[in-house]
Amino acid sequence: MIRVRVPNIGEGITDATVSFWHVEEGDGVQAGDDMVEMATDKATFNIPAPCTGVVVEVFFEEGESAKIGEVLATIEEEASKRSGL
Amino acid sequence: MGGGPPTLRPIVVQLTTRGRLPEWLRRPIAGNGVTEQVRDLLTVESLHTVCQSARCPNVSECFGQGTATFMIAGDICTRSCSFCAVPHGAPLPLETDEGARIGAMAQALRLDYVVVTAVARDDLADGGASHFAGVICQIRAVVPHMKVEVLVPDFQGRLQDVETVLAAAPDVFNHNVETIARLQRRVRPAARYERSLHVLSWASERGCVTKSGIMVGLGEQEAEVEAVCKDLRRAGCDLLTIGQYLQPIVRRLPVAEFVTPEQFVRYREMALGLGFVHVAAGPYVRSSYRASEAWRAALAARALASAEGLS
Repeated sequence: MIRVRVPNIGEGITDATVSFWHVEEGDGVQAGDDMVEMATDKATFNIPAPCTGVVVEVFFEEGESAKIGEVLATIEEEASKRSGL
Repeated sequence: MGGGPPTLRPIVVQLTTRGRLPEWLRRPIAGNGVTEQVRDLLTVESLHTVCQSARCPNVSECFGQGTATFMIAGDICTRSCSFCAVPHGAPLPLETDEGARIGAMAQALRLDYVVVTAVARDDLADGGASHFAGVICQIRAVVPHMKVEVLVPDFQGRLQDVETVLAAAPDVFNHNVETIARLQRRVRPAARYERSLHVLSWASERGCVTKSGIMVGLGEQEAEVEAVCKDLRRAGCDLLTIGQYLQPIVRRLPVAEFVTPEQFVRYREMALGLGFVHVAAGPYVRSSYRASEAWRAALAARALASAEGLS
């Protein structure tokens, strides 16, 4: 199971709001696909899927705030298709 | 000068939440080693940047390219403008070696162009003008041919203070009018539109390359933006920046609208048509965003004008 964490999205940013999920639990994702959009007061960022597989669980609802490093979702990785991301 | 009588529609403020921003406000995820180097040098030299204090959305991009806009005279401002995140309060004592430390950092980053701004220092008799001049000289004592752009407050309109700064020969004299004439009092209550134009006009008459900027998305209309541009051109302003206002913290003015990229293109074309040498207009354009490009354009225009004058 791969954990999708909030990456370090920008200098000085400690947290961001989950503004839009591009995927739902049970959806298949390709490595590098936009998974979730996060917003600060001044910008919006798309967090890519780190691997190809199926979204098992999402832990934040739209509108909730998450800190850098927190787990946003988990993906059951599809064997043999692991990307370098 | 000014935007004429207030015959325009009242401002309709669309409430914006911390929900989805328009797609053109999407930024790439940051991250490279240079960003950390810049941050570490700022800590070592104990320097402030407006990039961090104003929570600039370009900070990762600019730090990643090894550039920053230095903010001198402390990180506490004597004014409390309704758009700005720099803390307001009792200001800090001036540091006499601040320019030398900026010079050292600029040298470490191999910069050839720096932008220096300051908090407003209405507590000082000269508004911090002599400190600005000292910082320019100290930077050039470390790196002799450093190009220095200053982004100055209005010095409450005191032209002798403007002169003090100009005597240190900045390469660009930047002072922002920030918004259209009608919204001045709401956006920057301690400043005056005419006073800012007068300061710019004085610097321009002294032969300095001058620059100004406005934020849009505060409820202004196209005709009002055009009026500011005309006023700035009458003041001799060479360079212009237009960017989207974004609320830095919740207790500041709300965003009235997100201006589309197409509208920024229209603003840029309109301003170029009025005779600005360089216009940077776009959602993420800020006052010192890619500042050296604008300066180079001004230099080229002056060289051309001089050549035409000789022929």
